[in-house]
Amino acid sequence: MSGPPVQSETGFDPTLYERFPTKGRRPKGELEQLEAIWCAPKGWQWIMAINNNYVGVYYVGAAMLFFVLAGVLALLMRTQLALPMQGVLAQETYNQIFTMHGTVMMFLFAVPAVEALGVLLLPQMLGARDLPFPRLSAYAFWAYLIGGLAFFCSLFFGLAPNGGWFMYPPLTSTTYSPGINADFWLLGIGFIEISAIAGAIEIIVGVLKTRAPGMTLDKLPVFAWAMLVFAGMIIIAFPSVILATTLLELERALGWPFFDAARGGDPMLWQHLFWFFGHPEVYIIFLPAAGAMSTIVPAVARTPLIGHWLVVLAFLATGFISFGVWAHHMFTTGLPGVSVGMFSAASMAVSLPAGVQVFSWIATVASGRMKFNAPGLFVLGSLLIFVMGGLTGVMAAMVPFDWQAHDTYFIVAHLHYVLIGGMVFPLFAAIYYWTPMVSARPLSERLGRWTFWLMFAGMHLAFLPMHLTGLMGMPRRVYTYAAGRDWEWPNLISSIGAFVFAAGVLIWVIDMIRNFRPFGASEAGNVYEGGGLEWLPAGLYSTRSIPVVTSLYPLWDQKNLARDVAAGRYFLPGAPTGGRETLVTSPVNAEPQHLLRMPVPSGWHVWAAVFTAGFFLLLTVQAYAASVLSGVLAIVCVLRWCWFLDHPLPQQTVDVGAGIELPTYASGPSSTGWWAMVVTLVVGGMVLAMSVFSYVFLWSRNPDAWRPAPNVASLIVPTASALAAGILALSARRALARPWLATIMILAAVLLLGLSFGIDLSAWRATGLRPQANAQGAIVHAVLAWQGFFVAVAAIMALYVLLRRLYGYVGPNRPATIELVGLFLAYTAGQGLVGLGVMRLFPAGLA
Amino acid sequence: MPTDAPPAHDSLKGWPPPALDPAGPFAAPLSSLTWGLLAMTAAVLAIVVIALALALFAPRAWRQKLGGERLVWIAGIAFPVVVLSALLAWGLTLTHKLSEPPRPGELRIRVTGEMWWWRVAYLDASGAEAFQDANEIHIPAGRPVALELESTDVIHSLWIPRLNGKLDMIPGRRNILRIQADKPGEYGAQCAEFCGGPHALMALVVVAHAPADYETWKARQAAPAVPASALVSGKAVFDRAGCGACHAIRGTDANGLAGPDLTHVGARRTLGAGVLPNNQGTLAGWIGDSQAIKPGNRMPAYPVLSGQELRDVSAYLESLK
Amino acid sequence: MIGLAGATLVACAEKAIPERQILGADPARGLALIEAEGCGACHRVPGLKWPRGAVGGPLDGMSSQTMIAGRFPNRPDVLVAWLRDAPAMAPDTAMPASGLAEDQARDVAAYLYTLDAD
Repeated sequence: MSGPPVQSETGFDPTLYERFPTKGRRPKGELEQLEAIWCAPKGWQWIMAINNNYVGVYYVGAAMLFFVLAGVLALLMRTQLALPMQGVLAQETYNQIFTMHGTVMMFLFAVPAVEALGVLLLPQMLGARDLPFPRLSAYAFWAYLIGGLAFFCSLFFGLAPNGGWFMYPPLTSTTYSPGINADFWLLGIGFIEISAIAGAIEIIVGVLKTRAPGMTLDKLPVFAWAMLVFAGMIIIAFPSVILATTLLELERALGWPFFDAARGGDPMLWQHLFWFFGHPEVYIIFLPAAGAMSTIVPAVARTPLIGHWLVVLAFLATGFISFGVWAHHMFTTGLPGVSVGMFSAASMAVSLPAGVQVFSWIATVASGRMKFNAPGLFVLGSLLIFVMGGLTGVMAAMVPFDWQAHDTYFIVAHLHYVLIGGMVFPLFAAIYYWTPMVSARPLSERLGRWTFWLMFAGMHLAFLPMHLTGLMGMPRRVYTYAAGRDWEWPNLISSIGAFVFAAGVLIWVIDMIRNFRPFGASEAGNVYEGGGLEWLPAGLYSTRSIPVVTSLYPLWDQKNLARDVAAGRYFLPGAPTGGRETLVTSPVNAEPQHLLRMPVPSGWHVWAAVFTAGFFLLLTVQAYAASVLSGVLAIVCVLRWCWFLDHPLPQQTVDVGAGIELPTYASGPSSTGWWAMVVTLVVGGMVLAMSVFSYVFLWSRNPDAWRPAPNVASLIVPTASALAAGILALSARRALARPWLATIMILAAVLLLGLSFGIDLSAWRATGLRPQANAQGAIVHAVLAWQGFFVAVAAIMALYVLLRRLYGYVGPNRPATIELVGLFLAYTAGQGLVGLGVMRLFPAGLA
Repeated sequence: MPTDAPPAHDSLKGWPPPALDPAGPFAAPLSSLTWGLLAMTAAVLAIVVIALALALFAPRAWRQKLGGERLVWIAGIAFPVVVLSALLAWGLTLTHKLSEPPRPGELRIRVTGEMWWWRVAYLDASGAEAFQDANEIHIPAGRPVALELESTDVIHSLWIPRLNGKLDMIPGRRNILRIQADKPGEYGAQCAEFCGGPHALMALVVVAHAPADYETWKARQAAPAVPASALVSGKAVFDRAGCGACHAIRGTDANGLAGPDLTHVGARRTLGAGVLPNNQGTLAGWIGDSQAIKPGNRMPAYPVLSGQELRDVSAYLESLK
Repeated sequence: MIGLAGATLVACAEKAIPERQILGADPARGLALIEAEGCGACHRVPGLKWPRGAVGGPLDGMSSQTMIAGRFPNRPDVLVAWLRDAPAMAPDTAMPASGLAEDQARDVAAYLYTLDAD
């Protein structure tokens, strides 16, 4: 690989790397201190654990629990469909079960599972002690687990959603779905999306900012590349479904007609918003799995990945192209020809990066010597299944063929081939491959073979006949079918296949119970002889010292690396500030920038998760007072958890090894907090962008019914005050020498934001526009409500700043809080300006 | 009447696969395309399997040839670009050709998706509704017919695999699906978009007549109902039970619009949207308790009707041919 | 397994009432007719998964019931006549004249007589 970077990114002198590995013995007690600081939780403390070694395992475990639960639902469906006109499941029950199967598999298994894999593996792979925001990932996990279980339990009360995982209105409107079943989906999933976004922020910042020194982007492990693109895609895609669910819930709860054609709405708006998320979602799930494949294939074939850069470029290409394919779920809705052609072309183009990956895996297998161990088998099985699914995907991308295949069992077959081949098999390969990293015992090779062959055979038995069933005319989402339509045999075979597949999963569960022993003093270690940092000897503190990386496969190429790391001869061999800490490095060249002091376990994030889940679930069952109380408690918990952040340490710099001194406090673009805030604001911006799309889309449906906006003169005050708020918020940081001034600037900015918002709102109200009346009223009020929500959050932040000022926590030595709050306020101002500009000047500006 | 005749929904049979058994010029290219795509799929899969087998088991020299970036460039990039471009050109040409708007004067039928049946309105030359029927579409063979697809409740999708692909029925929109059957016959169809409740039990039959027969059928269908005079008691039950609030029988007081038009219900092939054979017995069962047959459908059960009333009203409806 | 099935058959044979057997009729054809005619629109018929209508009585255990429609003796000739034209026997019944031919009605009756109470 390339040598050390010639130009430094941060001013860090790369020749300092030559001091490592250091010579001489480490001081006595250093390792013991590290062990004490990162000690294992005792008794009930496991709930409060935030170390990724724990949370990652919980997270993967919970995802696999939902995999099994949704799999049981699949077995129930296959039992019902094994023969025609069976009465195993009543119609309504079946409709709930197929909705839950899809929803749970997508939202509670697939996305969390790959995110969990990231939480578990990334710190080790990157040479970090932990992810940059361990409490955030623990919060995301608990919110997901509590919310997911409650959501799943709605099945037992007959309250589970029954409108399909795609939830198309108007079927899901109050007219046709009056019960709270649909609300469970909208609120339950809406909130699990938040958890997914929290995880994505964590992963982006983790990959960009907490790598081992010297791990430049060209030495970034391929799995980390995949996770980076994955997380970026979540940030871009999920806001769309957050908006969609919010709009539909507003329509259901308050009667705002976004999707009601009778009042100027359009059901197609939902489909655009949903699939703008829903199709990238498939690649979101696939990318981390492909990253795992690209890691495991070289390991089991014992040779570097052929075409590493082509694979990385394929990830990026997948990410980009996948945002141009959403309408291929809508080829039968009567879209205009031009857009059909474009989406068809993009849908075919997205198979190119997949082809690149498949052939780079095959080339890697050819250049090495494949071992047919459990991960090896799953990798090969995945490759075959995924190729088959990809090919039927190319078929479905051909519009005229899709007219026949759409919404039939052909598509059921296609999507299961893609998802099982592209995600489930790689995940099992990953579980077999990485279990020795976290467990004292590896999984059994013998049982692994059984699991693989049963799953592989069951998979084909279940889904291969479905291609035919679809061409034979069987539509999807039917709870039964009439006898005499010749569908009996393929359905019976599919049902048998489903149970064979399930038997494979059952054997894996038995294997896990027998052999999975995490959190122990020792680990099975590198039984498959992988080349990544995650195979360095490690404890709960991750590696004893953080190595300087000079290769894509450091364990294969860097001599004595494991020995030197374990002996503490690299960065951060101890705990110089006496607490949990990790190195923060620069995004491109991974040059050390500062030392990040990390939090210790506490209950606040768990309580925050409980109350967040409570807020959404109580809202679903229409216990509004309790819901608001729960929401307030959640906010209090979050603020409490933030309170001790942004506390400078007594030592301004410390020796992180070999005499290299790094600061212990950071703000601005070198800090992790700044990156997290920027990514969060991108989420907000995407919601805004999709709202603007919705606004223009709804206008285009009924341009004549659009009433004029308030006059342009009424724009002056809101625009000026939003601008002033933005300037004040961004300059507060520079006024920190006078803490009260900075605090007042923040407070004033929030007041100006409120003023801008209030005047805009009242101007619209004065025109007589009402949200229930028509689609324009609904979408204008929705955009206003989104801005109002941001202003409210900004107000909470300002009060938080004020409180910190009263405690004396605002000052020039700790600019981070003011800076991040300022960023948020400035974004809110910008968002308000966009809303003002779009809704006041469009479409009037066209005339 | 009962014979060894095949059941009413025989046209819904799955073998040979209707998507590969086209019966008209709109479906035929789809079937050829499907075969072409299946061939492509098989060929590419074979290439991948052979490449993988060589990578795993071939002698060292062979494997070394495969084991480089060249394989990725040739098989992973160049080859798919060529294949996909060719396919795309084929697909887009076909899409364009099949999306041509109906010609002026083409026969038009408006099909409205309802939860969970089909309202079928035959339009005259001016586009106005001539008469309504339900759950069957009658067309003349050998001529293209434009179906105006609409919905007033939720999204449905009409799929007649032997005549064309499917197209959605979306509230607030109108989509045009053109079909043509080359020969007289019956062609099965059904709802393909999940529309809640008994979506699984929402089928339909397209009946293609020889052109002359079509005119006869149309004339008879357009005429009002002519019940046998002996069945006045059945009509009385129909009126007394308030059936006319939801159902129309042209030529009588019954003018409800919520449910299917029953003017010629006795002439239909099936009952309950392609669900049951249509005879007096099944009519009686449907009226008495359709919820036991098609749970969730919009017609309530009528336990108040006595045995004789049920028999009379079903006889009356069965006579409406 | 086979022994058990055999024993069940014997038990059935012992329980079956001799006069409720219809010589020369084919129960399998009877079931096909029941399906094609849509008898299930009103009756729950064992062996027919759907529809399971609720207007007429369930037909479980026809071979061991003493009465047809609660008022006629359960004999083959009566059952066949009932299946062909019920209103002729009971003007207040909801069951219409089916129009089944004699041999068809015999097949249906033969199927119904295969239905035991258990």
